[in-house]
Amino acid sequence: MDLTPNDEQIALQTATADWCRDHMPLAGARSRSAGLWQQLHAMGWTGMTAPEMGLDHATEALLFAELGRFLAPVALLSTAVAARWTGAAGKTALALPAQEDVRILDGVEASRALGAFGDVLAGFPLDGQLSSMFSLDQSTTLARIARPAAIEPVDDPHALLHLQLLTAAYAVGCADAARDMAADYAKLREQFDRPIGWFQALKHLCSDMAVRAAVARSQLYYAACTLDADDRDAAFHIAAAKRLADQAALDNGRANIQVHGGIGMTDEAHPHLCLKRAHLLQFIVPADMAALLAA
Amino acid sequence: MDIGFSPEETRFREECRDWLHANVPAEKRPLDASDAIGFDKAWQRRLFDAGWAGINWPTDYGGRGLSIVQQVIWLEEYAKAHAPWIGANFVGINHGGPTLILNASEEQKAYHLPRILKGEAIWCQGFSEPGAGSDLAGIKTRGRIEGDELLVNGSKIWTSFAHVADWQELVLRTEEGSLRHKGLSWVICDMHAPGITVRPIRKMSGQTEFAEVFYDDVRIPLANVVGGLGNGWKVAMSTLSFERGTGFIADQVKQSQEIEELIAKARAKGMIKDDRIADSLAQMRSEVAAVRAMTYRNISEVLRTGQPGPEASVIRLFTSELGQRLKRMAVLLKGEDIIDFAYGDDDAVGDYLRGFAATIAGGTAQIQRDIIGERLLGLPKSR
Ligand SMILES: Cc1cc2nc3c(=O)[nH]c(=O)nc-3n(C[C@H](O)[C@H](O)[C@H](O)COP(=O)(O)OP(=O)(O)OC[C@H]3O[C@@H](n4cnc5c(N)ncnc54)[C@H](O)[C@@H]3O)c2cc1C
Repeated sequence: MDLTPNDEQIALQTATADWCRDHMPLAGARSRSAGLWQQLHAMGWTGMTAPEMGLDHATEALLFAELGRFLAPVALLSTAVAARWTGAAGKTALALPAQEDVRILDGVEASRALGAFGDVLAGFPLDGQLSSMFSLDQSTTLARIARPAAIEPVDDPHALLHLQLLTAAYAVGCADAARDMAADYAKLREQFDRPIGWFQALKHLCSDMAVRAAVARSQLYYAACTLDADDRDAAFHIAAAKRLADQAALDNGRANIQVHGGIGMTDEAHPHLCLKRAHLLQFIVPADMAALLAA
Repeated sequence: MDIGFSPEETRFREECRDWLHANVPAEKRPLDASDAIGFDKAWQRRLFDAGWAGINWPTDYGGRGLSIVQQVIWLEEYAKAHAPWIGANFVGINHGGPTLILNASEEQKAYHLPRILKGEAIWCQGFSEPGAGSDLAGIKTRGRIEGDELLVNGSKIWTSFAHVADWQELVLRTEEGSLRHKGLSWVICDMHAPGITVRPIRKMSGQTEFAEVFYDDVRIPLANVVGGLGNGWKVAMSTLSFERGTGFIADQVKQSQEIEELIAKARAKGMIKDDRIADSLAQMRSEVAAVRAMTYRNISEVLRTGQPGPEASVIRLFTSELGQRLKRMAVLLKGEDIIDFAYGDDDAVGDYLRGFAATIAGGTAQIQRDIIGERLLGLPKSR
């Protein structure tokens, strides 16, 4: 039993964080350069979950949490799942079925989309140009298309769990980003002649952010290990990880804005980017009540 | 990262399970400290004789010298077997002993550690005072050096098990006129020494489990100072880190039973059809799972680096509040049956009332939040 990353995992995690800081700063999330996907691809971030890479889910969880911390494109999630379970190479957009149609997220230059249709994960080709606009989460483009006539289900139920796990990892990263942004600001901003982080009302807001992030991250690690071990409780543990991560991302997103005061709710500052991303993530394979309360 | 256990650890788990299955007392542990003391001592002795006391304590002092993972496995099986709370042995086993292992002299360790493990010596903790609770550095109880003794005067409060204890971890001001964290000493106080008066206090649940302690010219040999005169703050901090750190391992398993029982009960009563109840049960089940994950993460950190990460306070805060949410849910499911609670009964209501201690004892939730903000996030110190 060991729920801490080993040296090799720490090295990968650090390298991921360093790359993200240099090439994909969170501050730029609202207008990501057109070449970013190519860069991600060239660096191997889009292909690392392919079976021949032999990466375990625990390591993936670590790396996706780092990518999530910088609000990396959401199509990395669907692309990673497609790479492992369908052998597809190239960009796979994320599909979110709605009442009548389907939302396609981050579909620019994607040839396929993949998403959860009820309790099956299914993919389908994207043909023709999507007329994409920006979504609530400005790091993500959105198009709405008619429900495809035929979808190709991915037979293995692990595939859906995989998407849920990676999305939880993104949410953990998002919760971390909000916590760190808040703590940094609380050390810097002064009122009443002291840093606002001196005041317990603010300090405790930040501490609660740290608690939520730690709780979610721990459960994420455990859940990833259950998928690696093909544990019979994997579905529960991953659902629990998703629920806790979504909550942490949302609640930390909100608290971060409060810690920033007036500047926090401006377009110009960054806290809203985390909040909006959190809102998006909560709709991607949400934790199902039946999985959480299963006997 | 992995959640598997080695074949040796799995065998150890089976041994624990078998022994507990055959040995867990059928009768309930009495609730009041004075009634429970015989039970607590006998049970601790039985654990010791069978080799289950001090699983990761050094063998020189009666422990088993096994790994912290085996200690965790034991505690998991212990809770699963519904084995009784160690009660009056809590202080000695969970923080008195570990503080001595870390800070005490060879002589002190050789005398006290085996007695703690055998359940022969009951310990209590004399830290809090009427004017110094959260503000531990504000203590006033003093020990004046006279020859090779300390002459102790003052009082302590909320001392759990003081009225049944033999020894006390006592923090004193041993340097006259010293301020705050300076000039304090951590000493082993004999609770049977002349000049000590203990006055039990009743809790809102009906039990008398803690007490006021008064010191009137109590003489304590200087040889009982642990970690050196004037180093009391440092030693006390190690005690608190054990108090806030080790207890959660057992809590983790207890809470996983509590949530399963609550879900079963809500199903049986049909209350699970209420969306709000179902949602909070699902929430708490997720949180309980996360507590196990945090515990494993922290234990792994200890194995990897030799010490727990700064997230021990996170676990402490989170489990104490989660425990209270679980107990509130138990009371909610009881409905108006809670009215039938009679002062002192042991049931969901008693647990609920006693459970208020979780966010007060051993450092309040507010103090834990200060620690998290300052040590984990690096925010400026408020105190
Ligand atoms: C069941 C139980 C068993 C105990 N057993 C022992 C024992 O065996 N030995 C022992 O020494 N002590 C024991 N204690 C005492 C315990 O450690 C103290 O009660 C605790 O540290 C709080 O101190 P206090 O009661 O004086 O409350 P106070 O310090 O007066 O606190 C009152 C309120 O003010 C808040 N507060 C205080 N200071 C601050 C601050 N700086 N910032 C924000 N909020 C603040 C607190 O969080 C709390 O909500 C026990 C307590 C309980 C409830």
